[in-house]
Amino acid sequence: MMALVLTGALGALGVAVAAAMWWRRRAVGVQAELQAMRRRAVQAEQAAVAAQGRLHDVIEGAPAAVFVLEPSGAVALANAAASAILTGRHGDALVLEAVRGLCGELQRGGVEQATRALDLAGPPRRSVALTARRLPEGEVLVITDDITERRRIDDVRRDFVANISHELKTPIGAMALLAETMTDEDDPQLLARLSQRLHREAMRVSSTIDDLLLLSRIETDEQPRREPVRLDEVVAHVVERSQPAAALRDIEVRTELVEPPVELLGDRRQLESAVYNLLDNAVKYSDEGSEVVVRTTRNERTVGIEVADRGIGIPAKDLERVFERFYRVDRARSRSTGGTGLGLAIVRHVAYNHEGTVRVASREGEGSTFRLELPDGLPAPAGSPVTDEGITAS
Amino acid sequence: MADEMRKGFHRELDDVRADIVKMAAMATEMMTRATDTLLDADMLMAQAIIDHDDDIDVLSQAVEDRCFRLLALQGPMAADLRAIAATMRINSDLERSADLAVNIVKGARRIYGQVLPPRLRGIIAQMSEEAVRMIRLAIDAYTETDGPLGAALDDIDNRLDQLQSEFVQAMFEAHSDEALPLQPAVQLALIARYYERIGDHAVNIGERVAFMASGAAREHPGAARIRERAQQAAAQAAASGQGTSDQGASDQGAN
Repeated sequence: MMALVLTGALGALGVAVAAAMWWRRRAVGVQAELQAMRRRAVQAEQAAVAAQGRLHDVIEGAPAAVFVLEPSGAVALANAAASAILTGRHGDALVLEAVRGLCGELQRGGVEQATRALDLAGPPRRSVALTARRLPEGEVLVITDDITERRRIDDVRRDFVANISHELKTPIGAMALLAETMTDEDDPQLLARLSQRLHREAMRVSSTIDDLLLLSRIETDEQPRREPVRLDEVVAHVVERSQPAAALRDIEVRTELVEPPVELLGDRRQLESAVYNLLDNAVKYSDEGSEVVVRTTRNERTVGIEVADRGIGIPAKDLERVFERFYRVDRARSRSTGGTGLGLAIVRHVAYNHEGTVRVASREGEGSTFRLELPDGLPAPAGSPVTDEGITAS
Repeated sequence: MADEMRKGFHRELDDVRADIVKMAAMATEMMTRATDTLLDADMLMAQAIIDHDDDIDVLSQAVEDRCFRLLALQGPMAADLRAIAATMRINSDLERSADLAVNIVKGARRIYGQVLPPRLRGIIAQMSEEAVRMIRLAIDAYTETDGPLGAALDDIDNRLDQLQSEFVQAMFEAHSDEALPLQPAVQLALIARYYERIGDHAVNIGERVAFMASGAAREHPGAARIRERAQQAAAQAAASGQGTSDQGASDQGAN
């Protein structure tokens, strides 16, 4: 009996020990699982913090200004661009006013989203697009984006199509009318006059097409010729070519050339075309009896050609657009001067092909100075840098 | 409690300052648009500018009311009092500047159809840029309480005065060349005067800022002339009194 009890007790003890060991193993397993879960939770939290940080960095560094406004109008969140507007003056004060206005509009109107475009006269002129969206709990998200460049490109595209149609359709329309009139006309004097006008209009279309082809060639010429070109020779050639037009209006073309002559590696024909267009414009838009100056300059690794006139000048608002194809400051005047509207576009592409720049400084009534600045493309000199000196006038 | 009231006062003052900055931005925007209206003969824009002036008037009235309330309820002293006094006068200068932009637009409407010679157009564009630049500099000085910049505006204004003289000269030349009839010439002379007056308002704002920063008000030229006259009169009286007493003394000596 005693043995039976002992055996039972030992059995129970064994079961208890086994159970305890099982529970222990289970506890260790649960503990390990808990640790793994904790690790996963920590990792998830770290990942969430990193994602939040990334999102914050993205919003903070975004070029667009991001505002979150509370229902009271107080600013709950502003990224770097928005903070600049919040503390800004002048145009930015008006952008902030538009942000608050749009936010109020959204809250009053009960709509979910609203947009607005703001045009600022400046200077400088700029356009800002505002988009507002309602967030939960009555907050409003407003994003403002500077769309000045986008607008400019849209304008260029729209005007180009309109202008090219105008430039080609006007003379062709005139030619059609003249030809029609000539068909029914017998008077030889009148016929002679009409045919002269027909010829003039045909020449106009022809020169527009010539310039278009030239521009197209320059645009597509990715590898222009690179030959040593002396700028004094380019200037001399161009001045000679412009002389008849200048003489007709009693305009003196004066040159100021750096000595020794400036040289660069470039495409002579393209350079002559660019300088001719600048000089031709200067002569066309100068007052009779005035003076146009063509000068060359040289800096360390660049050479420059300036064409300065004392003519009618260019209004400030047109300055950034004069290099566009067919852009006209004054359409009526340009028709009387006979330009194709492509001259300055050619100059810009020649500068681009030579990895240079063309700039203009102008005031209405005071004249304009166009400056073509090009890298000389020559091997670096061994000695000290060369500067402007020894300018001679002729 | 007092700290809380002071914080509230400064919050309110900051709001008023923000309104002044906004009003200046609205006024300069109007000036540039007024010049565009004049140079491009854009009559649609002209009416929009005239209408927009009402918004500036409303804002100006609100700023004035808030300044009066601050004066009445907070009893500011020293720098705070100067800030409010200066702000009230700057408010008035900006409101007048916007009115002058409206006058430019009205002048543009009166000369509608008149082709302006390039030289006059160029100077108008420069006067406009200069007037806008001066108001902006004045507001920069105001927001940063930069007294020296405020005081410097008087000298900076010389450029606008010079442009006005050049404009009048160019106008006479255009008139004598028969490029500009008399009636538009008179309107243009007035328009040039409006730009020049905007510059004067910017100078006034600069003077208010200098006063706000230092507490020393610049003496008005009229007041300075009266003081000088009074000093001269006193010096003359002293000299004649001295002469009389010298005379008396010599008479006594002779006796």
